[in-house]
Amino acid sequence: MNVRSQISMVFHLDKCIGCHTCSIACKNIWTDRKGTEYMWWNNVETKPGTGFPTDWEDQEKYHGGWELHDGKLRLKSTGKAKTLFNIYHNPSMPTMDDYYEPWTYDYQHLFTAPAGDDQPTARPKSMVTGELINIEAGPNWDDDLGGSPIYAANDPNLKGLSHDTQQQLMAVERLVFFYFPRICNHCLNPSCVASCPSGALYKRGEDGIVLVDQTRCRGWRACVAACPYKKMFFNWDTGKSEKCILCFPRLETGQAPACFHSCVGRIRYLGVLLYDASRIEEVASLPSDKLIEGQRSLILDPNDPEVIAAARENGVHESVIESAQKSPVYRFVKDWKLALPPHLEYRTMPMLFYVPPMSPVMSNRTNGAIDHVSDDLFHDIEDARVPMKFLANLFGAGEEGPLRYALRKQKAVRWYRRFKTVGDVDEKTAMRMLSEADCSPEEAEAIYELTSLCTFDDRFVIPPMHREEAIQMMEDPLEHKKSVGFGFLSGPKRGM
Amino acid sequence: MRSAWTLRIGLLAAITCACLGTPAATQAQVPADFFRQNCSMCHTVGGGHLIGPDLEGVTKRKDRAWLIKFLQSPKAVIDSGDPYAAQLLQDAHGLVMPNIGGMTPDLASALLDVIEGAPGPAKSELAGVAISDRPFTPSDIALGEQLFRGEQRLANGGPACVSCHTLGTIGGLGGGRLGPDLTQVFDRLGGRKGLGAWLSAPPTQTMQSVFRNHALQPDEILSLLAVIDDASNHSQPANMSSLAKFVLFGFGGMLVGLALLQLAWRGRFRSVRRTIVRAQVRGEQ
Repeated sequence: MNVRSQISMVFHLDKCIGCHTCSIACKNIWTDRKGTEYMWWNNVETKPGTGFPTDWEDQEKYHGGWELHDGKLRLKSTGKAKTLFNIYHNPSMPTMDDYYEPWTYDYQHLFTAPAGDDQPTARPKSMVTGELINIEAGPNWDDDLGGSPIYAANDPNLKGLSHDTQQQLMAVERLVFFYFPRICNHCLNPSCVASCPSGALYKRGEDGIVLVDQTRCRGWRACVAACPYKKMFFNWDTGKSEKCILCFPRLETGQAPACFHSCVGRIRYLGVLLYDASRIEEVASLPSDKLIEGQRSLILDPNDPEVIAAARENGVHESVIESAQKSPVYRFVKDWKLALPPHLEYRTMPMLFYVPPMSPVMSNRTNGAIDHVSDDLFHDIEDARVPMKFLANLFGAGEEGPLRYALRKQKAVRWYRRFKTVGDVDEKTAMRMLSEADCSPEEAEAIYELTSLCTFDDRFVIPPMHREEAIQMMEDPLEHKKSVGFGFLSGPKRGM
Repeated sequence: MRSAWTLRIGLLAAITCACLGTPAATQAQVPADFFRQNCSMCHTVGGGHLIGPDLEGVTKRKDRAWLIKFLQSPKAVIDSGDPYAAQLLQDAHGLVMPNIGGMTPDLASALLDVIEGAPGPAKSELAGVAISDRPFTPSDIALGEQLFRGEQRLANGGPACVSCHTLGTIGGLGGGRLGPDLTQVFDRLGGRKGLGAWLSAPPTQTMQSVFRNHALQPDEILSLLAVIDDASNHSQPANMSSLAKFVLFGFGGMLVGLALLQLAWRGRFRSVRRTIVRAQVRGEQ
């Protein structure tokens, strides 16, 4: 057992209102520089939809992530020989159009336009070339099902759904969508790190944050092709790749990442997970129907004395172990099994988990009254507007079982709370639902509290980062004591 | 530092002097060597007509003053309408004898002395290179082709002909294009004897500088003559200029190359969003 710690995340999709506040918070802090205009380290997608970049989930086109070859893992996009062969032109590179060409407007024209019969307009102008352009796409072009016959109809997660089901999904009276906010998953088996020819990408030992060393990056962009979530971005100005850094400077000072902090729906949870690093390869190579269970088995119980001992032996700080014991992520993922990883079939072992959304209740109109009660208390889970198969393609590596379990438990908790507060559900029904959904009343209360009444400190259990100890592993902080005074990491610039 | 600079300047000066000194040494050559290097490719003394006439007894055919004038500038004499000069031009198939650099009246006179055979080396030395008269055999042609292509090195280390010249259908893409096409050169430079003499001491500036220290051997010249003769006999008038062929071949090669690239990278990423949008728009129409 090789116990390590990872700062991990849960996004509760049932609470997401799709306001994009997270994207803006991130944009304003990290990607408002030249060359990063098109990057959205955090973005919010509408599902069904093709997302950003367009159709990123279709790995037949983008060749991201890992695949099993004779039982062994290998990168879909590249390999040692392929890297050499394709080093000057990676054939799996998304084009700018698949993201979108970032633009601003020619505002100056409003002031400088000569007098005329019409109001002057500020025409869109590319932020890359500076030329006037026609806007064809944007980072959330299909927001709220905009252009759904084109974009939503091409959602790769619709694969495996019958034609009728697909048609119903688009039918006006059944129309449904939910939001899917995305950041870097800080995977356990990151394909971006594996693909880098320069060795510039690394996963931080103490908290599992995946980072790009900007001095070692040579701009080969193998990571851009290899990341199946397309959360690696190439800065065309600096010629280096960039990605979500999980706001590590904020984490190191005890603050939640900007997108977490600003979340209006309070959908985001952050906490430490302890995991067994020695089994990552074995689990990532499992057949796809065993992946979800496999990944859960990687995550270790922070209260297990054996795990605690192994963690201590591995240099995990006591305060981090304590933090892991309070982690809301552990409860969602392991205790309650409510949160599921996105597209685990890419085999990167993402460490960001999603609580699947409840879709609107299917109701029948009888005698002018809307009725949605059936003998089968979970009927609207099976008949939900969002087909189970669609959610399974997105969060269950194609398996419906884990999705059904999570949705039934959520519904049981709702009915249990209706029995408690509204009183229109009798106790017998509520208890029956809880037991059918594998949930005790205490667990239901806990889920309810962490979902609805959670405070800032409940949602974000940020461990003390102990950067100074992490640095000591690499270099001796006292090495230069008494030998230099005030100084600079790199020489001061002179002249202009 | 100062001494290093002195050394550098000294070296530079020495090299410059060496360079300037070389032509001065050439000018001081004896007339017989001058003849071998500058005249023997077109003229013999008692060896028969090449491109130019055999010079044996030339001082008896024309007087010395006329000859010295002609040597200094053959073209001027021909242009002046001199009937004898006109006759010479006709005998040489219209090939005007070039002006020879450094031809002073003294040098011309000394050359005539050599031709008359007064002092100096034996006349036979000026009779031209002795190349066998036997008929060309297939093995001569084969050897010549090897020499031409450079498959067999020239004995004195000269570069293979193919590096600058092309000949008939030799090589898939022909030879080099720096020098002229040699397919028809056999007749142009006076057949076996004339071309043989030419090859024994190539007169053009480029050839001279290349072969001055790497002269061809008589048996090599024979083999090369054989293959050049063979090429001129077998060459058919091309119905497409070689340049057009070259362009076509290049274009075809490019197409094949692109096809191979397409095959190698057929799984490459192509635009996703535009493809989706266009397919949808087309479907609606």
